[in-house]
Amino acid sequence: MKVLIIGNGVAGVTCALHLRQLDAKADIAIVSGETPHFFSRTALMYAYMNHMNRRDLEPYERGVWKQQRIELIQAWVKELKPGAAIRDDGREIPWDRLVIASGSTPNRFAWKGIDKVQDGLVNFVSMQDLDACERLTPSTRRAAVVGGGLIGVELVECLRHFGREVVFLVREPWYWPAALGAEEAAFVTEHLRAHGVDVHLGEELDEILTDSAGRVRGLRVKSGGEISCEMLGVCAGVRPAADWLKQTTLGVACGRGVIVNDRFETNIPQVWACGDVAEIHRPGQPPLIEQIWYSAKRQGAAAARNVAGIPANYEPPLFFNSSKFFDIEYTTVGDVMRLPAGTPTIYRRLPDRPVSQRIAHDGGRVLGFNMLGSRWNHEILERWILERRSPEFVLEHLEAAQFDVEFGRAPLRRMTGESLPLKKAGAP
Amino acid sequence: MKPMTAAEWLEHSNQNRGAVAWLLAAALTGFYLVLYFTEWLNPAAKALGLDGKWTLYGLLYTIAIIAGGIHVMRKYRRNRYQLVRTAVVIFVQLTFAFSIPQLLKFLGKPELYFSYLWPLKIDYLDPRNFHHYPLPFVIYSIVGSFIAVPVLTLLYGKRWYCSWVCGCGGLANTFGEPWRHLSAKSGLAWRIEKITIHAVLVIAVAITSLWFASAVLPEHQPLARAGDLTRQWYGLLVVSMLSGVAGVGLYPIGGTRVWCRFFCPMAALLGLIQKLGRFRIRVKRDMCISCGLCTKYCEMGIDVRAYAQSNRGFTRASCVGCGLCAEVCPRGVLRLENVSRRDPQELTLQSFLDESWKGGYSSPAWRE
Repeated sequence: MKVLIIGNGVAGVTCALHLRQLDAKADIAIVSGETPHFFSRTALMYAYMNHMNRRDLEPYERGVWKQQRIELIQAWVKELKPGAAIRDDGREIPWDRLVIASGSTPNRFAWKGIDKVQDGLVNFVSMQDLDACERLTPSTRRAAVVGGGLIGVELVECLRHFGREVVFLVREPWYWPAALGAEEAAFVTEHLRAHGVDVHLGEELDEILTDSAGRVRGLRVKSGGEISCEMLGVCAGVRPAADWLKQTTLGVACGRGVIVNDRFETNIPQVWACGDVAEIHRPGQPPLIEQIWYSAKRQGAAAARNVAGIPANYEPPLFFNSSKFFDIEYTTVGDVMRLPAGTPTIYRRLPDRPVSQRIAHDGGRVLGFNMLGSRWNHEILERWILERRSPEFVLEHLEAAQFDVEFGRAPLRRMTGESLPLKKAGAP
Repeated sequence: MKPMTAAEWLEHSNQNRGAVAWLLAAALTGFYLVLYFTEWLNPAAKALGLDGKWTLYGLLYTIAIIAGGIHVMRKYRRNRYQLVRTAVVIFVQLTFAFSIPQLLKFLGKPELYFSYLWPLKIDYLDPRNFHHYPLPFVIYSIVGSFIAVPVLTLLYGKRWYCSWVCGCGGLANTFGEPWRHLSAKSGLAWRIEKITIHAVLVIAVAITSLWFASAVLPEHQPLARAGDLTRQWYGLLVVSMLSGVAGVGLYPIGGTRVWCRFFCPMAALLGLIQKLGRFRIRVKRDMCISCGLCTKYCEMGIDVRAYAQSNRGFTRASCVGCGLCAEVCPRGVLRLENVSRRDPQELTLQSFLDESWKGGYSSPAWRE
């Protein structure tokens, strides 16, 4: 049995490694055009800042692939036919079972002037993006970054690391309203500004300005002003990398991503899809597209079982995530900003340090946590939600979920708090 | 090409085995060769009013730890574990590893280092030395090595010694900070380390046994001669060459813990005890993004990411508990712990009944 996995990101690679555990005999190959070896996309910023070398981004020693008998092919797949994938150089890769794990691709918008851009515009999700960023940084005095999410702030941090002036354009009235409440966002923004970032809230890119060679030289914003910059980072979210499939003759059904059921089966027999590219349809539920590192791992592992013939229905876990804004660490569990405006929350923070906790509840039980500036054990927070604990219980036991270093626990007793109904960007 | 000013190039070259690193390594190695095998440093020591090259070395060592320690405390100022630990490292060096021995020498007493114990300092358990040393120190050495060390290590892991007290670890974690990431991370390095470090421990134990045997059987001259001969070779090879010349001289090339990781008999013994004790590194489930900073900055060459990305808490014999993996982790996945803690509370009856603890939970947001 020949299994071909398209994409050597974390979903594809996890799928391959799990498949090897389940099936010692299968021929397993992974094809990717981006890099010869699996690397941690989430660590691009550390390579950019020279905290790591590119080789350090590889989560496994290179010997693993030979030892696990997983063939690595570096090529872009241009065409899929029943039983074969066609590479960009025209060669065929045969398959009996196919797993599509082509991941995500950055969103782009039809901004004015984007068609004239030849150089100076970067995203920050692929190895090629890192190449571009490194190439452009020396000739950049000021950079603009568009998109108020996590990747945007990572790119901003890298540019500040090299002392570049950075204008950070956030379309929404506060930074990352999909994840942060207005109060948290306010001190995160303050923190960004303290790191020298010129944050523009409620500001939208209107037109990209280029010089005669097509290099970005500035941009015009919707409010009318002009900002000169030699580099423009576009970090306005990602979407499933499924467009290329629509050009192939295999006929895999796509919506926003590749449509699969909860066993990762596509409409074509012997073809599965998992990871960021998968759009999972489950009876009675809205389509699910997960774009988180752990979800790609979980999906890859579950897909491997199905590919190996062991039925496994995928169930997403209670949502959790973490990130870091310069020095401020962030942990979230359950639902906070996805809850309707007006949902009661308890919001507390330290008066003198950027440390805060927001606990969303419905009066009886806790629904979610947004924790900034200190470390938390999401496993305990998660269990409190699943156990339907009351906000009073959670506040009383909160210390048990702290995960700070020894001697370094955030002083919960000094937190000052209040009850705050949830505010949402755009809601009254 | 990455953007680089001259200062950035110097730093990059220094920290990535470039020309600067090789020059520094040559200079450090040269310094140790001069120190161990010549008397050239004595005039310099005399000029400074010190009694000899070893006092000068102690002074330089202490300055390196204080200067490096201040740098480290500034760099990790948000991490209280690093602040406390580094402050203790500086304190121990300043007192037990420098001032107190110098004071003892000044008072005409033997120059004793309370921060070093057998088997790092095997001479402290040479029975022939026992009548030179004050009795309390002999008792201190024996109790320290055979009671305090195992008990503390079972309770807190080897870190209480290797990254809080020991001068070798102290220098690595302060002066050596710019090169900590250069340790070899491969599986091969791990296999080599397990052989070499335990071999040195066996030799240290063998030498001590020979000394004790010759003390018990004084008529058995060959035993004593064998012990002394081995001790000479051990002193030259292990103490001078491996802990000094290679251990510190190669900081800019092989990272800062080459001695501690591959050769130190004390680290070997503590590591074996650590495996039985309470210390571990806890890993939060599914939170690791495999970025690899933990592995990169592990001075002992442990592939921390391999554990973190597979959701496995772990105790490795070589881990000195410096805590840098937890510090650099951008997702707060790791934590150093001393206990296998039980969960903070029992599940509710309600959650057993409706099995909500298994994840059969739906949020109001999803129902919309």
